[in-house]
Amino acid sequence: MPAKTRGTSASKTSTGLSRRKFLGTTAGAAVAAGTITGFPAIVRAADPVRTVGFGVSVINEIQSKASEDLGFDVRGQALGYGAMFGKMLNQNDQYEVAEGYFNDMDVFIPSKVWQPIDTQRITDWDKVTDLCKTGRLTADSNPGQGDAPFRQIWLDADGNRADGQSRYVSMVPGWHNADSMGYNPDDTGRVIDSWAEMFSEDFAGAVALLNVPQIGVMDAALGVEALGLKTFGDKGNMTREEIDFLINFLIEKKQEGHFRAFWETFGQSVNLMVSGEVVIESMWSPAVTAIKAEGVPCVYASPKEGMRGWHGGLAISANASGAALDQAYEYINWWLSGWAGAFVARQGYYMSVPENVQKYLEPNEWDYWYMGKPAATELPDPFGTIIVPEGEVRDGGSYEDRFRNIAVWNSLMDENDYLVKRWTEFLSA
Amino acid sequence: MTQAETRHSGLIGTQPAAPEDVVARVKIRREAGFRVGWLIAPATLWLLIFLVLPLVSIIIFSFWTATGYGMVPDWTGQYYGEYFLAEGFFDPESRNYWRPTVFLRTLGSTFQFTVMVMALCLVVGYPIAYFLAMQVKSFKFQMALFLLAMVPFWTSYLIRAVAWLPMLGRRGLLNRALVDFGIIEKPATFLLYSEFGYIMALVQLYVVLCVGPMFFSLAKIDKSILEAARDMGATPLQIFREIIGPLSLPGVAIGMIFIFVMLMGEFATAVVVYGGKTTTTGTVILNYYAIANYPFAAVNALMLMLAMMMGVVIILRLVNIRKEL
Repeated sequence: MPAKTRGTSASKTSTGLSRRKFLGTTAGAAVAAGTITGFPAIVRAADPVRTVGFGVSVINEIQSKASEDLGFDVRGQALGYGAMFGKMLNQNDQYEVAEGYFNDMDVFIPSKVWQPIDTQRITDWDKVTDLCKTGRLTADSNPGQGDAPFRQIWLDADGNRADGQSRYVSMVPGWHNADSMGYNPDDTGRVIDSWAEMFSEDFAGAVALLNVPQIGVMDAALGVEALGLKTFGDKGNMTREEIDFLINFLIEKKQEGHFRAFWETFGQSVNLMVSGEVVIESMWSPAVTAIKAEGVPCVYASPKEGMRGWHGGLAISANASGAALDQAYEYINWWLSGWAGAFVARQGYYMSVPENVQKYLEPNEWDYWYMGKPAATELPDPFGTIIVPEGEVRDGGSYEDRFRNIAVWNSLMDENDYLVKRWTEFLSA
Repeated sequence: MTQAETRHSGLIGTQPAAPEDVVARVKIRREAGFRVGWLIAPATLWLLIFLVLPLVSIIIFSFWTATGYGMVPDWTGQYYGEYFLAEGFFDPESRNYWRPTVFLRTLGSTFQFTVMVMALCLVVGYPIAYFLAMQVKSFKFQMALFLLAMVPFWTSYLIRAVAWLPMLGRRGLLNRALVDFGIIEKPATFLLYSEFGYIMALVQLYVVLCVGPMFFSLAKIDKSILEAARDMGATPLQIFREIIGPLSLPGVAIGMIFIFVMLMGEFATAVVVYGGKTTTTGTVILNYYAIANYPFAAVNALMLMLAMMMGVVIILRLVNIRKEL
């Protein structure tokens, strides 16, 4: 899971903006005229598509644009991790589309709350990159350990896992990114290029770790491995013995006072660095922009061991059928067609169909966000605020560079229960 | 008119009984109005649906089996076993030898923090309530000051918690002042993301909850009793020990119950002010809910509830609220 509450719009609910805008203007007009006119009947061609997810992909602007383009309402509900997970799993009659994450597939595939998606109904399926199909964005890519999307995507017509590529998928690949550490270069005094630096004595007492056990443990494992203390068989699926080793190491570090804090939300991670509490921490890449906007220097590290990848996508509830199912497919096809991909690109996320995204980005934007070139002009975020000064180069290089070397993907381990138990011990130590 | 005679307690001598027509007028007619059953029906129904039913289902779910993505009604006590008995508890080689499970230890530390904060709330809150009730003479001022004490409640809980960050942080107000005045050389880090900061924040967040009840029971004390005690030569300490203390106990008990129940369920402050460096039972429940291990979350929730109930019973045993009121 990439985020408990990534982004700042963690719990906004949106109906279509067209309607909200309409209501707004009506109300404004009514106030201006000093009269209240009758409430107009809203004629609807079809029921709305309801979609749930994180604030990464469920953003008012995206669902309103979809409503506008598709001619039916798309209603998004952005939730925090626990609430989202619970709703997706237990209330699949409350949504048609689930904007989920490949690392949760060990839960969602066997639960059968989603239906297998027929790739023949996905218009741009051929344009979806190989990252999720074969695990290799380019021929020389390292697929990485853990729940890489290509290991979690293929299903048979009944929704059971399929060996190798097939016609059906668990989710249509969408937005994704690779995470590492953020640091304040003024405070570290050197370039950080290894996960080992998370445990460097130089930064003792000024380090923060992500407090989502499944992800935090992988950041820690990358650090321990980089220190040469242990080599893990599969950092995305550790054994009990490996978990024990790692947690015991973390407990020792915690008791030494190595960690300043453990953060759970995007906002906390930003605040920790802005307020000078930490000099290095696990971080989600959009945090860098947010920290710099506060005037605090911050660099996103490109560790030589590779980054930790995560990948979101669009799934369809097992409950959707008939017209609702058709609309769900339409919404998914719309997501792949480029506009939404360009929107999230300006927040630093990548999309599974880059060639469509390119159509909706200015050449300067494409060069900066995807090609890793210096920004030819200053560039805006999706809401029009300038966030990239001219000449800046994106941390981590081009899209291909970044995804060529993913060390491990966000994962749900077989020993997840044991991990959570030991993580609880770590935090109580 | 018959002049029957009767004795009223508290009055001296024999008093004439009230005339019959008056008695008839004043007598409460039970048959009129709604029946008791109807009056308590809404609340009963509400509690049944939203308290008893969920509670019963939590108890049932705690015996089901988690599948990794939900639960199935395969009855098992394994989650209770896991809660109470660590793997390797009887194994001298194990790191868990004779060691309570992390869940019990978490409940223990949650309880420990709770008791500590309750004690501090009493020390901080009682004088405030006492001052309001006893020292401020005008009722108007009393109310105004009481409302002023409630001001923090006007903002959300989370804002009150987050507000500690710029106060106690490394570059916070307090540190800056201490460094600027030359009291310390380097910013102190023990203020925030520490046990110190955590307890301080908890006291500030919850103390108002106990000031209210304590204030009300102190304000209820008849001032003439105090005057009588003074007239008879009682020292202030005696007055407090014999009169004010005992009479304000119900308020103290109610305030403590409020704080106790809320603190035991606490999890957000630990994240914000303690930087997630400790776990409370609330966090554990949340974590297991997040990985869809509902039965184990249910076990934790029930044990937390049990601990809360025991705590409330102990407080009520110490102070007989019914009698005191």
